[in-house]
Amino acid sequence: MDIRVDTDACVGCGLCVKDCPMHVYELQNNVSVPVRPNNCMGCLSCHEICPAQALEHRGIYAARRHYIDIKVCEMLKKVI
Amino acid sequence: MSAGYIDELHDSFRSDLVYRSEDIPLECSPKPKEMEQTLHGVMKLNGLVIRSLEEIAGRGANAVTYRAGKKFGHEVAKYFQKREDVEGALHELSDLLRGQYSFEVWKPEDKETFIIEENGETFIYLVFHDCIVRQTLRRNGLEQGGPLCQTLFGYVVGAIEEITGRKAKLEIVHTGPNACLKKLVLK
Repeated sequence: MDIRVDTDACVGCGLCVKDCPMHVYELQNNVSVPVRPNNCMGCLSCHEICPAQALEHRGIYAARRHYIDIKVCEMLKKVI
Repeated sequence: MSAGYIDELHDSFRSDLVYRSEDIPLECSPKPKEMEQTLHGVMKLNGLVIRSLEEIAGRGANAVTYRAGKKFGHEVAKYFQKREDVEGALHELSDLLRGQYSFEVWKPEDKETFIIEENGETFIYLVFHDCIVRQTLRRNGLEQGGPLCQTLFGYVVGAIEEITGRKAKLEIVHTGPNACLKKLVLK
């Protein structure tokens, strides 16, 4: 698993450190560092909890998302 | 209600289709995209049922849903080949769950084998990737790990028990938006 942290964006809140059950992250000099990336099982809780959206996971399996409303997405695509 | 509207309504349920009793439907109709409203309706209804059950029965809701899932697991798995090895049973299980759930056997990097023995317990970590329960909960803004998750727990436990003949228990370790980590404890 390749996990990248945008060190400029990370605010060092430590929420990802507390939330991760596999202790993938550690705070070093007030920045989150993925010290055990191979322990990541790709739940993406850290993405949901990160207030700075500073995280990036590569090579992850994205679960199917049936709950996304296709009509809403079509409208969003027009706007974005 | 006007007669025009009633005729129109009747017409909408008529066609020239010839349907014979030997006709076996080989594919879903309509196409999945056209079923979106139905799918969302079912997810919404499921979410409301679970929410109401929790409001009325409190913690007892978990027992009800677990029991329902377990019965379902036993029911479905009884047609599968019986085997003693857990690895084979999990393989059977992934076939059983295909389309509704997908999972993989997982281990932290400091463990050498997938079957872990710790504090007198033998267990296997399972990471559930695709899960209709998670979809339903997120569609309804409900918390993960509640009674609806218990149906999946019961389902897995029931199926494993049926296939291997061994008692099992499933515990939530962590829930996330993209995957959940579960612990299958073997007895």
